[in-house]
Amino acid sequence: MDALVSAGLLFSTLWLFKIRKITDAVGIIAFQSALLALVAAIMWYKTGIEHLLVAAALTFAIKTILIPSILYYTINRTNDKQAVERLSSPHVSLLLAILLMAAGYYVATDLRLPGTQHGEHYIASSIILIFLGTFTMIEHKKAIMQAIGLIVIENGIFLITESVTYGMPLVVELGILFDLLVSAVVIAVLAFRIHSSFDSLNTDKMQNLRG
Amino acid sequence: MVLVAVLFLAPLITGLFAWVAQSQRFTEKLQAVGALATLAAAGKIASAVYYGGAINGWHDIIYIDALSAFNIFLIALIGFAASLYSIGYMRHELAEGEISFSQLRFYYLFYHLFIFTMLTVSAVNSLGLLWVGIELTTLVSALLVAFYGKNNALEAAWKYLIMGSVGIAFALLGIIFVYLSGIQTLGQQHAALNWTELLAAAKFLNPSWIKIGFIFILIGFGTKAGLAPMHFWLPDAHSQAPTPISAVLSGVLLNTALYGLFRVYAIANTTLNGEAAQYLIFFGLFSIAITVPFIMIQHDLKRMLAYSSVEHMGIITLSVGIGGTLGLYGAFLHMFNHSMAKSLLFFAAGTICQKYHTKQMGRITGILKSMPVTGTIFLIAAFAITGAPPFNIFLSEITIMMAGFKSNQTIVSVILIVLITIIFAGMMHYIIKMVFGESGNKVERIETSNWSTVALIIPLILVVICGWYVPPLLDNTIYKVSTVLQGGVR
Repeated sequence: MDALVSAGLLFSTLWLFKIRKITDAVGIIAFQSALLALVAAIMWYKTGIEHLLVAAALTFAIKTILIPSILYYTINRTNDKQAVERLSSPHVSLLLAILLMAAGYYVATDLRLPGTQHGEHYIASSIILIFLGTFTMIEHKKAIMQAIGLIVIENGIFLITESVTYGMPLVVELGILFDLLVSAVVIAVLAFRIHSSFDSLNTDKMQNLRG
Repeated sequence: MVLVAVLFLAPLITGLFAWVAQSQRFTEKLQAVGALATLAAAGKIASAVYYGGAINGWHDIIYIDALSAFNIFLIALIGFAASLYSIGYMRHELAEGEISFSQLRFYYLFYHLFIFTMLTVSAVNSLGLLWVGIELTTLVSALLVAFYGKNNALEAAWKYLIMGSVGIAFALLGIIFVYLSGIQTLGQQHAALNWTELLAAAKFLNPSWIKIGFIFILIGFGTKAGLAPMHFWLPDAHSQAPTPISAVLSGVLLNTALYGLFRVYAIANTTLNGEAAQYLIFFGLFSIAITVPFIMIQHDLKRMLAYSSVEHMGIITLSVGIGGTLGLYGAFLHMFNHSMAKSLLFFAAGTICQKYHTKQMGRITGILKSMPVTGTIFLIAAFAITGAPPFNIFLSEITIMMAGFKSNQTIVSVILIVLITIIFAGMMHYIIKMVFGESGNKVERIETSNWSTVALIIPLILVVICGWYVPPLLDNTIYKVSTVLQGGVR
């Protein structure tokens, strides 16, 4: 089960480097977030720590339903040409992503974390998610895709908290999810205004401030 | 605890009422009164902590010691000054047709929400909630940076939001590592993320995880505090925001990010037996050094001030890294002095930019002739910020240099002196050109709204007085604050 979920997370992230339309990316992060909720539920089953179940339900509600809906709405309403724009060609970026994955595995085997009896399957995946999320932000030119990269990084961090530390204290977890929701709204608001001012969401046009 | 509730509710209620109010004058007065109420609550809390020690409550969620109270009071004080300044500044923008009345109400709502988020950061015990608060400050202030909605403002806000969020995400990763070692030592309980518990157990935490955690947090909160090389968003955001917001961003938001960093540093340095200090010294010096070329070639007044903020955050970080009683004392004295001088300078610069209708320093000349009061204050603030005697920053910079020599960091102190001198020359080159000389014939010789001038009084008085001596109350406060970071003693 653990291996299956890990594989799901990794392949969905790699898929980010294959897509042609931005809306597909939203589907991918919704899928990833659903898997994260599942991980939290699995950890609850293994450890019996109750607030993990609350975390699972909230992760599903906020990260799988609300945030992707907000992003999907934003992309559709801005009516931007929905094709993704990358710095390098799709094949090169997929190749780089796979290299980063290998690097992630290497780092994970070097890391000796405590309390990993239930979470060891996920450490490598979370590090890879963080790496690939960062890479997405550098690689893509569309502003929304930077937000997607940010969410992938956050997913990686969520995976570590849920699997290795069995979640954060409940108040903190609520606060973090609230922050993520607010940040999706702020991203949407800014994306709308950027689109109406620049007529595009391409970050190449936003190069005015220097020095 | 009632006081803490008042402290949180005052800015929230003020923001909401300012948002729904229908009359412009009423909104303005209401938000100023609200900011004053926040300041009063902050002052009460500060004196309670000063005389009675740390406040603890709400199931260990709230924890306010001298360091928190110091930061809370600074936020409320600068917040109050900036709320007064906002009245005059925003009236001018409204009259010029730059913004509409509904935008004005939106501004006051988010301004007070912004103050609220910074207060939360300083009043919580859990490192997780500290993170939540710092992330919220980014989200709220990004909307304020984008306030004018022009292309440059949107670009700056987007950069700020994305860089800030990524940096902060890494800080969360660091906090997880700290939590992990906390769990190992304290057991699986929510207190394992509380600063008080972690500090008490700091000697027994696992050094290697704390080290990884600290480095991630240094990068994350360092991004938010504008430490080089993660500072790229800062000059954009601070120069594109409305001026009262620039003053709050530079004057207290950066401090708030450093506050988070220093909290973790107190734990990490105890666990690592002083090994964490070298990172602060490195990032501090690097931040000071990197601003030198940017200040020398700057054309934009507000950008120059923003780079100067990077420099001063570097000095504070460096001083905490030098450590010892004198180093920590110097750091927090500098934090206080920088908040006062930088907000004063931003206020004066904002008024000047409004009158001259430009931020380009080349097009501003003869300020002293066209605006005698603002011009004089601008000159005083500029001397203060560059560390010229007899103003406040001179005293704290001397203290920091002394601390460096005392703790055998001679090279660090010498580099610091050289860099500060070059920056002084670089900034003064532009300031002198702007302040003296003939004013262009376009600018009519009128002073600005009284509100904008009144707001200058609070920081101005403190800049001047603290240049001669450190008042005993402030002196004792800063000693108490620095003992918090020395661990144990509370």
